[in-house]
Amino acid sequence: MALLEEPIKKEVLELKNYINGEWVESKSDQILDIVNPATQKTIAKVPMSTRDEVNTAVQAAKEAFPDWRRTTPLSRTRCLFRLKELMEKNFEELSRIQTVEHGKTIDESRGETRRGAEMVEVATGIPSLMMGYNLEDIASGIDEYVIYQPVGVFCHIAPFNFPFMVPLWFSPFALATGNTFVVKPSPRDPISQVKLAELVEEAGFPPGVYNVVHGGANAASILLEHPDIKGVTFVGSTEVGKGVYKKCGETYKRAIVQTSAKNFMVVMPDANIEATIPALMTSFFGNTGQRCLSGANLVIVGEDNAFYNKFLNAFVDTASRIRVGYGLDESTQMGPMQSIDGKQGALGYIEKGIKEGAKLILDGRKPKIIGDYPDTCFLNPTVFEGVTPDMTIGKEEIFGPVASVMRAKDLDEAIGICNASSYGNGDAIFTSSGKSAREFQYRVESGNVGINIGIVAPMAFFPFGGMKDSFFGVLHGQGRDAIRFFTESKVVIQRWL
Amino acid sequence: MELNTASEVISLAKKLEEDGAKLYEDLAQRYIKDRETWLSFAKENRRNVIQIERAYYEVITDAIEGCFSFKINPDEYMLKTKLAENASYSDALNKAARMEEKIIKFYSDAAEQSKSLLADVPRVFMMVARKRDDRRAKLGSLLTKEG
Repeated sequence: MALLEEPIKKEVLELKNYINGEWVESKSDQILDIVNPATQKTIAKVPMSTRDEVNTAVQAAKEAFPDWRRTTPLSRTRCLFRLKELMEKNFEELSRIQTVEHGKTIDESRGETRRGAEMVEVATGIPSLMMGYNLEDIASGIDEYVIYQPVGVFCHIAPFNFPFMVPLWFSPFALATGNTFVVKPSPRDPISQVKLAELVEEAGFPPGVYNVVHGGANAASILLEHPDIKGVTFVGSTEVGKGVYKKCGETYKRAIVQTSAKNFMVVMPDANIEATIPALMTSFFGNTGQRCLSGANLVIVGEDNAFYNKFLNAFVDTASRIRVGYGLDESTQMGPMQSIDGKQGALGYIEKGIKEGAKLILDGRKPKIIGDYPDTCFLNPTVFEGVTPDMTIGKEEIFGPVASVMRAKDLDEAIGICNASSYGNGDAIFTSSGKSAREFQYRVESGNVGINIGIVAPMAFFPFGGMKDSFFGVLHGQGRDAIRFFTESKVVIQRWL
Repeated sequence: MELNTASEVISLAKKLEEDGAKLYEDLAQRYIKDRETWLSFAKENRRNVIQIERAYYEVITDAIEGCFSFKINPDEYMLKTKLAENASYSDALNKAARMEEKIIKFYSDAAEQSKSLLADVPRVFMMVARKRDDRRAKLGSLLTKEG
């Protein structure tokens, strides 16, 4: 058992806000403990910032904006290049911090760090990506062109499930395009964001351009109401997200609101079972099922019982052997859930599944943990069979390592099941038929579509899609969408007499 | 215990390369003949580690199947790199050749298992396996010369 060294050497970190280029101790008397979900040890304390502190962060960003806006795209890019270099230099530390604050495995944390770094990489293309376009002689001697300009102060309200990566879906693009930024990390696992802010500082971003202010729902509300915040990026539940989007409408703010999901993994009879099973393990149980792109419902297509049984047995057998433990142990394939509340929520859904008549064929409620760790947040992979779309576990987001197995007689029925969901985030089909794949891609109402891919996470140069109750807004995070979200177009018509 | 995660397998690859490098450095100390060859092998081992790590760290993302990619029994590939005090040059060459065979098998098996999953990682594994195969051929010709 190769247990990697802990990244946090100090007994308990006391986290500060990063405002206007300074590390500021909060005056708040509301302090939360950050607990390593695997060991249950307190590793940090985080303040729930006061109203004044949140306002100070926004004010700092507002004051920094004019100078940052005048900094050339090339100079802004160079700050991002330095940041990227620092992220590579601190790659392993950043990754291990995510493991101890969130619970995910070290492979998953490294994956998250890599994804975050990729966002910065893509944003360094801003000198090209931010270019407008023009046309000479729209009328004789008159030219017209469009330029893209930054808007002002943006903020991000971060989720707990990808504490390092998700803010980076937005912040590098905001900064690269000349805006300033305030991040409110999740109060459950903010340490990697604090480490990132240290790197931002070291990379030489001017004071006030990038700020981190800790807090919970209260701090988020202050940001949403603040008149100097021009746009909000949010990732979280649909329930909260709808409120965020509504508030942004009321306060005339731009918004990217990415929310809940209930993703369908559709397996056709011609799927390559050997390649599909590991993909589905990652999909359903990766990040302990706590992701908006997690597989939730496994739809096995066809009336061939032999295929159904063979596939389901392979799925359950592999799931039953997943090694659950501490993420810093290299052999761990699935970590704990991030919190006791999350685990209790998942347990509640398992109870409902049983009550509503689904068959529990793999019961993860009595955790088998590798190593001597308290089982507080641990929940082993769990599989239900005979789930129907109208069951609670078939339609509501569980956000845990629980797979619901359904059957569909053909692809048409499977697509119908997918589209009946109120969510539309990351559905996938596993098949060796191009025809089936194309049909699925064409008809399924999902913003991210996988073909023989279990986690349909777009690369940094593509937008992160989402439809229906999984997304609110027009433009998405990442890629060209993000650049348009963080800029205003200005059309110029010129004539020289 | 079977190794399943990318992290474990990369760690094993690093260990095999390092253990191999140490054997070659030992050979370079003991046998002046072909010293440059031994040292170049050791240096190449350490370069392999950089290439493998680079491939892994650059391709590992939260979405690819890093935790479920492999089924490797490490016992099949563990190396006995300690050379007896009175080992002859032929003994040393044979030991090195057997070590290379095991390492080639490791990389080939690991690449085969993960070929549809991690893309860049199996590719670099196969590249290293090919380099080791060339090395094995070189050791073979040294053995032949030694008679």
